[in-house]
Amino acid sequence: MAQSKRFWRIVFLSLPLLFYAVIVIIPLTSSFYYSLTNWNGFSKTSDFVGLANFAKVSRDPLFLNAIRNTVIWMVAAIVVPSGFGLAIALVLHQGVRGANFFKSLFYLPICLSLAVIGQVWIWVYHPDWGLLNEILRLIGLQEATKAWLANPGTALPAVITAWSWQQVGLAMVIYLAGLTSIPAELTEAAEIDGANYRNLLRYVIIPLLSPATVVVIALSIINSLKSFDIVYIMTQGGPFHKSDTLAMFMYVESFKKYYMGYGSAISVVLFLIALVVIIFYFRQVQALEHLYD
Amino acid sequence: MRKNTWKFVSLFVVALMLFGACTPAVTPAPTEPAAPAEQPAAPPAPPAEPTKAPESPPTAPAASEASVTVVHYFSDTLGKETVTKIFDSFTKESGIKVIDNTTGHEDFKAQILVMLAGDNPPDLFSYWAGARVQFVVDSDRLEPIDDMWASEGLDEVIPPAVVKGSIYNGKKYLVPFGYHYAALFYNPKVMQQVGITEFPTDWEGFLAMCEKIKAAGVTPIALGSMNRWPAQFWFDYLLLRTAGPEYRAKLMAGQAAYTDPEVQKVMEMWKELVDKGYFVKDANAYDWTDASDQVANGKAAMTLMGTWITGYWNGNGLKPVDDYDFFPFPTIEKGVPNAVVGPVDGWVMSAGAKDKEASKKLMTFLVKNTDASATWAKGQGALSPNKNTDPSIYTAVMTKASAEVAKAEVFAFNYDLATTPPMAEGGLNMFAQFMNDPSKYQDYLVETENVAKEVFKK
Repeated sequence: MAQSKRFWRIVFLSLPLLFYAVIVIIPLTSSFYYSLTNWNGFSKTSDFVGLANFAKVSRDPLFLNAIRNTVIWMVAAIVVPSGFGLAIALVLHQGVRGANFFKSLFYLPICLSLAVIGQVWIWVYHPDWGLLNEILRLIGLQEATKAWLANPGTALPAVITAWSWQQVGLAMVIYLAGLTSIPAELTEAAEIDGANYRNLLRYVIIPLLSPATVVVIALSIINSLKSFDIVYIMTQGGPFHKSDTLAMFMYVESFKKYYMGYGSAISVVLFLIALVVIIFYFRQVQALEHLYD
Repeated sequence: MRKNTWKFVSLFVVALMLFGACTPAVTPAPTEPAAPAEQPAAPPAPPAEPTKAPESPPTAPAASEASVTVVHYFSDTLGKETVTKIFDSFTKESGIKVIDNTTGHEDFKAQILVMLAGDNPPDLFSYWAGARVQFVVDSDRLEPIDDMWASEGLDEVIPPAVVKGSIYNGKKYLVPFGYHYAALFYNPKVMQQVGITEFPTDWEGFLAMCEKIKAAGVTPIALGSMNRWPAQFWFDYLLLRTAGPEYRAKLMAGQAAYTDPEVQKVMEMWKELVDKGYFVKDANAYDWTDASDQVANGKAAMTLMGTWITGYWNGNGLKPVDDYDFFPFPTIEKGVPNAVVGPVDGWVMSAGAKDKEASKKLMTFLVKNTDASATWAKGQGALSPNKNTDPSIYTAVMTKASAEVAKAEVFAFNYDLATTPPMAEGGLNMFAQFMNDPSKYQDYLVETENVAKEVFKK
């Protein structure tokens, strides 16, 4: 009996596992292998160069620049979507008039692809007729107008803002789900005990929302590590690498410079960073499980 | 129950992580559409008139269904339409089927890489003559076509300056399909308004003209360097007109340094133009079509751009000669050979092409058949590499462009096609830095030379 159950398990799992192996495991391991070569992406042959690519990674100023930008992005990803998402969720959860309308409104950007969002924000930032500069001119801040995406100081924040615009909606939905899962007895009990809203928020709601917070932050960090599409659409990492992220940098090295081996090494580094985040995330989730026990 | 929900959500997130963070590392083929093209994308051009398909009866070799697979980057609506028309007339004439597996323009670069790497290349693909073809040749992925070149007498058909773009490591690999020429395209109405009737042939004259335009309240030069490559023509022409084509070829091959006095001088001259306010503000914020619009609507007087700009303007209803015209980049140093700058689009055959004979037939047809070359030149706003192409298909401006190229002693590929791809990345980056703040060009040159040292392993 047990034997046949096991047999069927293997049968049913074999196809998805095979699929997974072909599209994930094999490419992943070959990527590790290529990171040790000087393959240019075209040649039939490549030389094994050991850890040379990783040595290059450690002293490449463009890599350090991409790391710096990715860290900035991550920090923004931790603060902005969770902060705004929580604020909006709290307001909407109170039972505002037309809450459902606003929920859909804030959620809407999630339904758009990042390519579309990037294009829309390119228009917002356009130096001549973009919404942002138009508003600045309207309120008399003529000097503050800028070529937002071409200015080395503002390109990265401008792209991150466009990206956050989408992420806030996602964070809001997760927080709304978290809020509905907080038992009413708990908040009522706190109110009866005389807690004001600030204390209620601080001692009851936010601690009980921590599973949601972990999900929001983990999602944001992972999405920030993946940040390629919107950068590709909006700036291509420019002006002169000022908005390069690790993923964008990896693309340029692999597909524009044809340093496929080096690009693979960058991807391995990216993978390791993601791994650290995943391990951290797992620990957090485990630590939080007691909340519902 | 709740615990399970969170467990499920967290597992879901982990799955996302694994797919998200790892897979792009392995197959980073970009799937996003609408990317700004790095190379001058085949620009929109005036609707091509239906060309008469050669009505010769199909002389199809009776038996086997021969076919040629192709991939190309002419994937905008008009480009695809035109090239398909040409393939159709080839099939009619030869009986050989053409299987076109083309996707997007920007996808092309990743697509061709993946196909070659997977040992599954198309028989023929379009490519940019110059360092990029050299790169694929050096990777042993292309088939030489010297025998076909000789038997078809292509030297009789293609002007010698363009033939040079077909030769790599002493062998011929590429048939040219169309080429472009970069020059100073201007708005004649604006020039008339500010009182410019004669166009400068030397540098002093050029500076005086810019000063005059600026004094009249018009920005002399539009540049949209958002995607970096439009800035390269300034570097190309300044270098070719001062240090000359020979020095430039050395620099492109890593045999000269970006910190050389020759390059310093170019940057100093370019900086002078920026410092005097001859360029539009925030050039990096605009793309080449924005710059073209600025010239068309009179905000700026001229822009240094390739002949594909005529296709763009025609598509917007502008009339050649009346609404736009060009003059060649002025001479700077006397005695330097006269060079013109531009890209050549061509076709190359994969080393692993399945039907080499059929592929050669198609290659020959693409360059030699005058109906095909006329259809293409007209549809793309490109210059035809075939000497026998009916010149009446050109507008007056294109005829003039063709004459300028014929007069030139050297046809030089633009920067990003003249030097190897990783070096081009570094150089284009420098141009964008320069347009943002030209005062630090010395630092940029040092940085660029560091890139060159790494690329050429000096």
